[in-house]
Amino acid sequence: MKTKLTLAIILTTAATTALAGPIEEQIRFRQSAYSFLGWNTGKIKKQVVDNPETFNKDYVSAAANAIAAVANSGLGELYGTGTDQGTGWKTSRLKPEFFQKKDEVTAIANTFNVAANELAKVAATGEVNAIKAQFGKLGETCKSCHDLIRIKE
Amino acid sequence: MKVTVYVWDFPIRLFHWLLVFAVVGAYVTATLGGNLMDWHGRIGSLIIGLLVFRLIWGFIGTTHARFGSFFPTSGRLIAYLKGSWQGIGHNPLGAMAVLALLIDLAVLVGTGLCSSDDIAFEGPFHSLLNSDDWKDTVSGLHKQAFNFLLLLIFLHISAIAFYRLVKNNNLLVPMLTGKKQVPKLFASEVTGGGVLRFLSTVLVSGAVVWGIWGSVEFFRPINSAPVVVLTPSF
Repeated sequence: MKTKLTLAIILTTAATTALAGPIEEQIRFRQSAYSFLGWNTGKIKKQVVDNPETFNKDYVSAAANAIAAVANSGLGELYGTGTDQGTGWKTSRLKPEFFQKKDEVTAIANTFNVAANELAKVAATGEVNAIKAQFGKLGETCKSCHDLIRIKE
Repeated sequence: MKVTVYVWDFPIRLFHWLLVFAVVGAYVTATLGGNLMDWHGRIGSLIIGLLVFRLIWGFIGTTHARFGSFFPTSGRLIAYLKGSWQGIGHNPLGAMAVLALLIDLAVLVGTGLCSSDDIAFEGPFHSLLNSDDWKDTVSGLHKQAFNFLLLLIFLHISAIAFYRLVKNNNLLVPMLTGKKQVPKLFASEVTGGGVLRFLSTVLVSGAVVWGIWGSVEFFRPINSAPVVVLTPSF
């Protein structure tokens, strides 16, 4: 029984590690995720905030759906122990305090997910002002996490 | 015997208090983030305009607004340290603080024009920086210049409190009314300034801000000029 339990634990650990990959890989995946988010927030910003006359509902909606999909993909898995030190595409800017502030970060991450899903919903309506307002709220959730656990240059 | 001297002209006072509101506004908008970041950018433009205004007014404004009248030369600094400096307007130490504030603000707006918050806001020149390292460095400098500004503001306000409480010299009221009571011995005629110079300086400052935004396309490398590129439709 004990052997089975140990085996199960080892297998689960191995599986989790395999899923998330070694440290460098986790960092690379998450940096990729955030730069993909940046590409999509940039698209929304351009058509909703900077040049509303160019607004294209499908284009913005596609970007909002991409953001929501990344948010819902379970990014937390890429924050394994030790991933505050290391280089993905570039040196990680995750503060070591992250691991002491996990609860706080999780709460913020949840508000981010809710805001991203809401943005996708609002984007589907095509109402520029509503999208702009929700887009701002999403940005605030990004900022609160940056302020908490991202190393300032 | 004391006489009233017109130490801070109206444009200087307007500049000072607009700058106070602008700095507070820039801080608040940056702290709250979200859609307010666009206002952070607009306030930054206002600060650029104010700095250009101050620079020009430092040459054509009234006596005590002029850099030449208060620039902390070695002679003035030595006299000040010996305790033999006499005058109204900025004393040599205060002048150093004023120049430090102006220079730091210039660094702040300069880096701000090239910064990004890595969320959904970037200054007009951000995309012209050609490496991620540079982009991060400049955005970081923007934050560091702000921390330094906080230190300078703290010194500025501490000095005013020190003069009020210890030296029984109210520096706040003259910055509101422009008038200051000084011993007749120090009083000298205030010259320069004027409505026409004021209005033309405002005009030039506005034009500079407009020109900075307009020059973004000018500085963009030709090969990265926006062209219509046909991409696959998937």
